[in-house]
Amino acid sequence: MPSKKQDWLSAAIDHQGLSDEQLDDLLQDQDLQDRFERYHLIGSAIRQELPEQLPTDFSQQFAEKLSQEPVHQLQASHGLLQRVKFGVRRAANSEWFKPSAQTAIAAGVALMAVVGVQHYQQPGAQDLMSPLPVLQTRPVAGFASPVSLSQTTVDSRFEQQAQQAKLEQQARLQELLNAHHQQVRVLDQAQILSEQRPELKDDQEPDGQL
Amino acid sequence: MRWFWLFVVGTSLFFSSASWAERKGWQAFEHSQQAVQNSNFDVSYVVFKGDQVTSFRWLHGLNDGQQLEQLIPLDSGGVDIVRQDKIVYYFTPDKPALVTFSPFIKELPALFYKSVDALSQLYDPVSGSVSQVGGRSAQLLRLTAFHPGRLNYWLWLDVETGFPIRIDTVSENQQVLERWQVTHFLLTKELPDPLQAVLEVQFPEPDTRRVQRPENPELASDYQLAWLPSGFRKVDDPYFIPRLGAPLLNYWLLTDGLHQVSVFVQHSNQVPAQAYRDGATTIYVQSNEQIDITVIGPVTLDIARQIADAVRYD
Repeated sequence: MPSKKQDWLSAAIDHQGLSDEQLDDLLQDQDLQDRFERYHLIGSAIRQELPEQLPTDFSQQFAEKLSQEPVHQLQASHGLLQRVKFGVRRAANSEWFKPSAQTAIAAGVALMAVVGVQHYQQPGAQDLMSPLPVLQTRPVAGFASPVSLSQTTVDSRFEQQAQQAKLEQQARLQELLNAHHQQVRVLDQAQILSEQRPELKDDQEPDGQL
Repeated sequence: MRWFWLFVVGTSLFFSSASWAERKGWQAFEHSQQAVQNSNFDVSYVVFKGDQVTSFRWLHGLNDGQQLEQLIPLDSGGVDIVRQDKIVYYFTPDKPALVTFSPFIKELPALFYKSVDALSQLYDPVSGSVSQVGGRSAQLLRLTAFHPGRLNYWLWLDVETGFPIRIDTVSENQQVLERWQVTHFLLTKELPDPLQAVLEVQFPEPDTRRVQRPENPELASDYQLAWLPSGFRKVDDPYFIPRLGAPLLNYWLLTDGLHQVSVFVQHSNQVPAQAYRDGATTIYVQSNEQIDITVIGPVTLDIARQIADAVRYD
């Protein structure tokens, strides 16, 4: 039985064409497909087309090695409980108000970050009344990376400088926007603290700590 | 004489119906505030700011008479915010938690947490029609600002529960600047399940001594703010002065009880006047040879420019 099959299969490999029936057989029969692969491999070996030092069962070996690799569970972020535990361990508010913390706020806490601020210039006051460009924001885990200069096709050095200035201005505005949000967050703090502990005012330490 | 009495009756009818409509409007609004503050719920909502869309899950419940609330951004691994009554915790991955004292989470619409007495100084409520929003019948309530330059709010309140379903922040010329829209809400009898898990967590004791008031830098006192928009006042003693990469020459925080506006004065970068918008928040930068003035807050561009113009050097 196999000899007949071998004949047309072998002929097919020598580019002698396939009938529709034979093609159907080939597509459905795993045994034929294996044979087809083997014939090609033999042909390649005879023509010395095999890549050097690549074993024929390379894919199988690779799959086996891969299955032996340890599995790493990648998580984008911690669950709330972990974060809470972390926060409980390291609650340190004062750091939030240090200059370096501003960066941290920008990086992690601020719900908004500028992605690409459209530059907006106007010669006269009249133009200010036209619709404002939208400050493009998105919630981020880290600070949004502005448009990379390398991705632009700007050749002119002058335009690159203008682009750089724009990015600096954008980062500066983002910092101010974050500072504003932070102000809103702590706006009621002093009032609530004094309501909860009225005696604190008398206890206030000279360095301003409550 | 008859005409006189007709006039008197007509006028009194007009004013009493106006005040009746106002009372009804505030009643509906208070009902929605009660729903937000006193219910157990699990809500998802989205915020549209121009082309930007952000989504959040918002959980709220009452436990032993104390409010427990959690706000989770769904778009990225940003901040988880938890409120226990008047203490708000901001949790970020791998960073110390921020603990603040606040009666509500400032990332939620502040309207729900301000007293009607305070709001009625700023807004006039006008009831609109009932329409279908998100598959539910919703009553439109427009809060129209008394003072020019203040943003208006259009609220759609669920007819059955009073819960707010949609809030549009609308400019003076009726342009929608920001939209807050509930996409799913579930009112429950008990505390929502995810909050049950939060209950089991030991939060830091609200030890007021651990909440340090940062030492504020000295600011140049030569700059004055000579004008304030109607209804706004300066916050005399901001809790802290922002510390930025570029030093601040002066800083003012303005509030009308509902909105806050920051005014930053810095050394000049000699940039042309610029204006940006982040939803309802206007960011306006004005520069002269000596200083940059940046105004950030939910006011119209015209008001922001007037504030910047009012910075004087004595």
